[in-house]
Amino acid sequence: MTEPTPKIRRRNARNWHRWLGLVAAIPLLWLSISGLLLNHTAFLGLNEAEVSTGWILKKYNQVPEGDPRGIQVGDRKVSQWGKLLFLDHEDLQLNGNLVGGVAVKNRLVIATDERVAIVNGSGEMELDLDELSLPPLPVEGVGVEGQQLVLRSAGGTYRFSDDFLSFKEAEILLSTTSLSLLEDRARDELESAIRTRNAMPLSRVILDAHSGKIFGFPGTLLTDLAAISVIVLTILGLRLFPKRKL
Amino acid sequence: MENPIIIPSILVSATASKLRSLFFVTALLLSGGSAFSADRVYQKPSDFIRGSLGKIPATKAITLNATQQKTVRAILGKRYKTTSIRYWSVGKKTALILEEVGKAEYITTGYVVSEGKISTVKVLVYRETHGWEVARPAFTKQLEGTQLKGGNQLSRPVKNIAGATLSVRALTKLARLALYLDSIK
Repeated sequence: MTEPTPKIRRRNARNWHRWLGLVAAIPLLWLSISGLLLNHTAFLGLNEAEVSTGWILKKYNQVPEGDPRGIQVGDRKVSQWGKLLFLDHEDLQLNGNLVGGVAVKNRLVIATDERVAIVNGSGEMELDLDELSLPPLPVEGVGVEGQQLVLRSAGGTYRFSDDFLSFKEAEILLSTTSLSLLEDRARDELESAIRTRNAMPLSRVILDAHSGKIFGFPGTLLTDLAAISVIVLTILGLRLFPKRKL
Repeated sequence: MENPIIIPSILVSATASKLRSLFFVTALLLSGGSAFSADRVYQKPSDFIRGSLGKIPATKAITLNATQQKTVRAILGKRYKTTSIRYWSVGKKTALILEEVGKAEYITTGYVVSEGKISTVKVLVYRETHGWEVARPAFTKQLEGTQLKGGNQLSRPVKNIAGATLSVRALTKLARLALYLDSIK
């Protein structure tokens, strides 16, 4: 096979330069604009501006997926949405899947399959009990017997001491209340509270959109391709730079 | 003239290939995804307590009064997540499992305090996406042997890790908190 002539090579380079430039134009334009914005975040007030758009917050795992479920305990509502737990509309810093909640001696006890939180009347978390202070996990049910907390777990049924720090196995038939789906109105109120509270700084969103991370692996890949395009366009441009011999 | 038919066919094929690439990249982009979650579990809290104290003793708790809560707030710059904090004691050793937010997620850390000095520090669960380097012994060893001096500060400075500043701050604050809690238990 014969080598292409300089004229053909030049035409190939020009075609590649033109098409690659066209394909890479939008990503490069975005990278340039977002780069300029990020260089002047303080001047433009981008750190103070907040984004509370649903789909963007979902990218940051701020608005959960799926249907929220909950349980009413007295005048408090304990709910779980995705991996997040809420007491009324406030975040509850507790890991695991919600099992239930009960009122014990002016306190609200919230149980997940791996943790138990003791919340006082002001809504403050008094104790966050993990595997070190709980019977063999997972916790399967929570209830009250004679003003004392009772948990059903993988190992049996256990009655807790008044300070919630120790427990003994007990023969108790525990009746528990199951979780129910949140009604539309309650769900909308919860989502609205989450969006308001978890709004992201605009500068952070632009930074993650600039790097592509906000779109996960595909976004990072696109940013990488745009960067490689610049390198290739530069090389092709340098090849095309010398004046054509007449 | 050399084979004039080959060049247009290459160009056509190259253009189609470029369009295909553009299509796939766009499809991938629209398919979305999230890169903002990561949990690193280094050790279970129960294994840490058992390893540090030789057994798991009965759980005790310090219930913070108003003055103590004020001091804790001064150390952390905010309230601790609970108003009672659990600890486990054997002889002169006291073990605490403490949690503090690095940037957005809690870092679960085990501390053992003996005679007013930190003897062991171990990151048990790291949930942030960046800054896990604080879990390395090269960092945690710095905290060992430290004690509280005036103003509830550590007796010697802790070196920062570039890119993990918030996690370094969180672990340093928790070290101060562990020493303070040991002093009031």
